[in-house]
Order: sequence, then structure tokens, then C-alpha cells
Amino acid sequence: MSHPESKVTTVPHVVKEELMASGKWVKLEETTYVDPAGNTRTWETVKRTTRQTNTEADGVGIIALLKRTLHKDCVVMVKQFRPPLGCYTLEFPAGLIDKGETAEVAALRELKEETGYKGEVVGVTPVTCLDPGLSNCTTQTVLVNINGDDMENIHPTQQLEFVDVILLPLDEFQTKIDDLLKKEKIMVDAKVYVFAMGMVQAFFKPRELPVLKQFFHKAVYLKQVATCYFQLFMSLISRCSDSVFSNCSFLI
Amino acid sequence: MEFEESGIGEECGVFGCVAAGEWPTQLEVAQVLTLGLVALQHRGQESAGIVTSNGASPPTYTTLKGMGLVNTAFPPDALLKLRYGNLGICHTRYSTTGISELQNCQPFVVDTLHGKIAVAHNGELVNAHALRKKVMRHGVGLSTCSDSELITQLLALNPPLEEQDAPDWVARIKNLMTETPTSYSLLVMFKDVIYAVRDPYGNRPLCIGRLVPISKLHSTGAEEEDTEGWVVSSESCSFQSIGAKYYREVLPGEIVQISKHGVKSLSVVPRPEGDLPAFCIFEYVYFARPDSIFEGQMVYTVRQRCGRQLAIEAPTDADVVSTVPESATPAALGYAQQSGLPYIEVLCKNRYVGRTFIQPNTRLRQLGVAKKFGALTDNFAGKRVVLIDDSIVRGNTISPIIKLLKEAGATEVHIRVASPPLRFPCYMGINIPTKEELIANKPEFQNIAGYIGAASVQYLTVEGLVSAVQQGIASHQDDERIGSSSKSSKPVGHCTACLTGKYPVELEW
Repeated sequence: MSHPESKVTTVPHVVKEELMASGKWVKLEETTYVDPAGNTRTWETVKRTTRQTNTEADGVGIIALLKRTLHKDCVVMVKQFRPPLGCYTLEFPAGLIDKGETAEVAALRELKEETGYKGEVVGVTPVTCLDPGLSNCTTQTVLVNINGDDMENIHPTQQLEFVDVILLPLDEFQTKIDDLLKKEKIMVDAKVYVFAMGMVQAFFKPRELPVLKQFFHKAVYLKQVATCYFQLFMSLISRCSDSVFSNCSFLI
Repeated sequence: MEFEESGIGEECGVFGCVAAGEWPTQLEVAQVLTLGLVALQHRGQESAGIVTSNGASPPTYTTLKGMGLVNTAFPPDALLKLRYGNLGICHTRYSTTGISELQNCQPFVVDTLHGKIAVAHNGELVNAHALRKKVMRHGVGLSTCSDSELITQLLALNPPLEEQDAPDWVARIKNLMTETPTSYSLLVMFKDVIYAVRDPYGNRPLCIGRLVPISKLHSTGAEEEDTEGWVVSSESCSFQSIGAKYYREVLPGEIVQISKHGVKSLSVVPRPEGDLPAFCIFEYVYFARPDSIFEGQMVYTVRQRCGRQLAIEAPTDADVVSTVPESATPAALGYAQQSGLPYIEVLCKNRYVGRTFIQPNTRLRQLGVAKKFGALTDNFAGKRVVLIDDSIVRGNTISPIIKLLKEAGATEVHIRVASPPLRFPCYMGINIPTKEELIANKPEFQNIAGYIGAASVQYLTVEGLVSAVQQGIASHQDDERIGSSSKSSKPVGHCTACLTGKYPVELEW
């Protein structure tokens, strides 16, 4: 009863990449590939011209926690005008990795340039994709702690004049973002909002699986998706919630 | 040491904090309050209470109260509910003889015509009895026998000239201050400010600190814009542990407004003509922590000076000087410095034997005291010892110690007490035993040395104590802070009623 043709599956792979247009920073290619069913197709792909050869990731994103004695831990955010959207966005500080730099070095440099804070790297994620249906752009998220008691991190001066630094307390991260959305016309970066939801989960409902309750009937598929996200959150959160929960143990 | 043993104590410590700058604040106000209470734990171990406010209009108050030490009274997850506070006040309470109930714990929160207030009080109103009747005649019901509830109700009464929609807290507090002269150090939290009030005689302490970034705490570089918040406390010993710089004392009779914008003196209510301030001298002698600062001087320094004065007034022909650990140590060091005798340690204290071992009869209690100390025999065997203690109240805690030392080989034990004998009751908040129990009022006092088994006993005189205390007072320091242009020195006075029987105000019966 088996039909060999319908059961044949190939490993999808790229066959050809043809440059269609190129600017200074970004280029457009036509990617010819073979899909899982064995058919040859094309895809319009955006790529950066700046990717370095020694690193896999184009850039870094920084989740920086400002820690000051007897103060709430705050996430360092940046607000800036983004021409592609035509409006202001709320994002984690980020930047491209320069020639000869590692992700960690790039992260601390970008953080200092955009916010003025001098931090210490405490963790790096694997290379992750940003918008895989559109481009091959990748990033590594670097987790940074900033010693807010240090003299140079009190009233820091930043180099970039069009970037606003916003500090949001970690224990009210999602609430504060929602407040900002009500007050201003601002677009929140997807990574930021998803992280915020993860923090709410970690802080308030550590043993409940996020979002799953309403999709109970579609358990299998969605559980797989959710588990992937959940694992990513938990690895980030376990670093963050250490600081959150260490705030609770302030009794001697 | 007998103060500690008999449980004569200060009734309570108060602490408050207001975050500076923008609200909602990133300062962990609840943490600051908790650390402040821990630093004031010596003023009260029975219970602790915290009230935080978000400072909005109308404000949301969150209360947390618990029995026992601060460490155990507040479980960590309970403290989480206080984390949205932008300001708050808190209180530690001393053991009383009655049943300890959670509703008796301060701070008290009541609704007034203009909104909720929270009150934390240190002290005891001298005319509480008459005032209770007066308040109840106004139709107000009282649910506890606490003075602090009485104060809260008095503040809730509308003063005669107040307008309908504008609460005049200065008028209300002044009204309270005319109703009762002493003793109270108060923190009143209303909306987004804390009012810090000290009675016109300044009987109980109260001082203000400024929170600055940790790295600027010890440098001189902390500018006005570095201020992260303001704290107010019964004692300044709490400031170091929370990163606050000592700012100034609340003056006797002063009403200070502490808000996110800063510290503002609203009024100073004067005493009746000719009356001097009456700061409780026992704060210096025993109650306060040695690192606290009152009237510009450190408590430890005063105790050391008392020891020196004692050596001048009551020198001894002996070989070594020692202390009853730990409260008498500064005085013993002062005595040693003045007399030239070497200072050694003769007693080893078991710090796990506390007042919980309150035994029902005298014999057992004496045995209990002996359990608390061990003799460091090698240090003093065959020597004549001068032992400095901070108090002899009933006389039955020092005698087992003397016996212990003599049995361990001391040839003579001379007792020098770094405070004058207690003879009179205190109505301002110290729970001194009844007159009959005080050894100074008993016939045995004529031959107290024989009674307790010492070779000789001498107390510090009242004049000696007062001079040791007043010697170091910097009178101009605090005047500059509130912008007073008068160059005359501030009047100085201390309450010595329990020693002399002269009360700062007339007591109503």
C-alpha cells in the first residue's frame, strides 16, 4: 500500500544564492532551495553586509540588570526612533559585533556607548535567529550585571544623543511597559515583551506553565512550542530570579 | 547588668523612611524599614510592625505586624506585599507585663476626616489617665490601653479653626502637644509625608538621616541631588547599616515634615517659661546603643566619661579593674584610664542565657544569674578587683557575681556603679520596679556592701553623672541646620527624676 514517491522526504537545503540588490548595510538575495517534499523553490532573503567571519552572530542584544544596594533591580532599556517603523521603540540595548570582537566584548562596548553603564557579563545565549522568514540575521543575547554602587555607574553619561535610557524595575517589568504603552506611542520589541511575560511567570506563578491553560485541548502541538519558549525563559529567568529572590532574603 | 536582668527597659523604637525623587521609587523602602528595625531591636523585642504607603491620593496603606524579633516576626513572602511603598513607618515594642496581642502592636492606622493616618509612638504620656477620660467624653471609644492609640485619636480630633477640606496637621499636632507635655517621640504618616514630632521636653530621642549612594556614604562628595531618601529614627545607630548619613536631631518641641522634597521644620513648640529640656539621662546610661549620637555626642564616649568621673569620685585601693559584660565595659575602661589600674576581663558571659529564664523565686534566680557568667580565674586569682557595673537596682543580681569571683580567688571585690541609685518611679516610659523593691529605698542600703558581699560599694553621684553627660554637648551644631540666626547656645537639660524625684512636669493624678 505504500507509494514510494509520496513517502520520499529530502533534507531541505539551499541550492543557490543570487544577489538581487545591495545597499551599504543590507542586501537582497534570491535563495533557491529544495523543500522537504523535494521541490525546488525560491525565497527572497535579506542579509546584512556587515557580518564578520569570526562570529556566527550579526549582533548582540543586552539584558542588563542595574543592581544598587537597597534599590530594586532595574532592567536597562533604550528608547529610540527607528526609521523602518517610523516611530519610537522600546528595546534592549543592542548592536552589531565589530571585527575581531567576541559577543561579550561587543555587548559591554555597546552597553557603555548606548547607556553609559559599565557592566560585567554573567551569561551568553547560543546564537539565535531574529526574523527567520525575512533574513538570516542572528544575535546572541548577553546577560550583564551592572554594579550600581560603583562611582562610575552613578549618573552615567552616554555617548549617543538620540538614545533615551529607561530603567524599569524587574519585579514590575510588564506593568511598567504597559504603563508606557498607555502614555506614549511606542512600539515594544518582541523579545522585550516576551521576557516581561516570562518574568511575571517566574515572580508570581513559578510552578504554573505559562499560557497553556486556555489551550488545554491542543496540548500536544502547543506544548512543544511552549516548552521551547519555556526552556529559554527559565534559563534566562533562573539567572534573573536569583537576584529577584535574593531581594527577599534581606533579613540577617 | 541589672537593668538587663530585671527587664527594665525602654519602651519602643520608631523608624520611618521617605523615598526622594520620582515616585514610584526604585528604593526598596520596605527593606530600609526592616533594616532600621533590626538596628533598633535593642529597644524592643516583643513585637514589630511596619506600615507602608504608596503616597497616592487617596493612599493605599499596607500593614505587617508580627510578634517577636524582626528576624522571625516577618516571613520573607509577607514582606513582599510591602514592596510598592514609597514611604513608611515602623515600630518595635518592648515586653510588657500584660498579654501581648497583635492589635496592640504599632503603628496604629486610623481613618480621619481627611484620610488615613498611621502613628508610631515612643514614650508614655504622663497624663494618660486624665486624657483618656477627656477623649472618651468626646465620644471616642478606645479599644486598647495603649497611650499610642490615645495619641492617634487625639490627632484625629478636628481642631477648632480647621477648614473643611484642608487638614492642618501642624494645628492638630500642636493641639496634641498642648494636651500632653511629655513624653513622646512620634512619627505620623499622612498621604505622602511623615511628620516627626518630639515633645517640648525632648524626653525621648529622635533624629533624621539622609540616604545617599553607598559609595558616597563616607566621602564628603554627597551632593543634594545624590539624596535617595530620608530616614527618621529613635537612634542614629540604624543609619550606618542602611547607608544614611546623620543629618540632625529633631529638636524638643519640633514638628518636622519629611517628604520626597526634603526636610522642613514646620514649628517648634516652646516649653513653659523657664523650663529646661528633660532628655532621659538613662538613654546615655543604659538604653541606647553605644554607637548612637545624642546632642552631638556618642553614647559610648559619655559612658566612658562616667567611668572616669567614677574613678575621680570613688577611687579604690585595688589591683585590677574589670566590667560586668557588656553594658558596663565603656565605663570600666574609663575607670581604668582615670585610675591607672590595669583593665582585665574577669567574667565570661553566656549570651544564650537570656531573660527568658525569669525564675519565680529569688534563690533560683540567683542560680540562674550564676549560669549566665563564668569566672576567668587565671586573670584575677589572688588580686583585689574593682568591678564596674552599670546598675544595682534590687541588689540580687550582683551578689551571686561577687560570690563567684571570691570563690574563684579574688581577695577583695569592690563594686563601683556607673550610675546613681534609682529611688523614684518613672512615668515617662521606663518600667522601674516599685519604690519598695528598689534597694536604694530599703534599710539595707545603709550597709549595701555587707548586704551584697562586696568589700565596698560606691555609686556615681547625680552631679557626677550630669557633668559627665553635659560636658560634651555641642550646642551650636544643630542650630545651624534649621537656619537659626541666634548665636546663643541651646538650653540643655536632662531628666533625672528616677534619681532625684524632681520630675520635669507636674504629674496629674
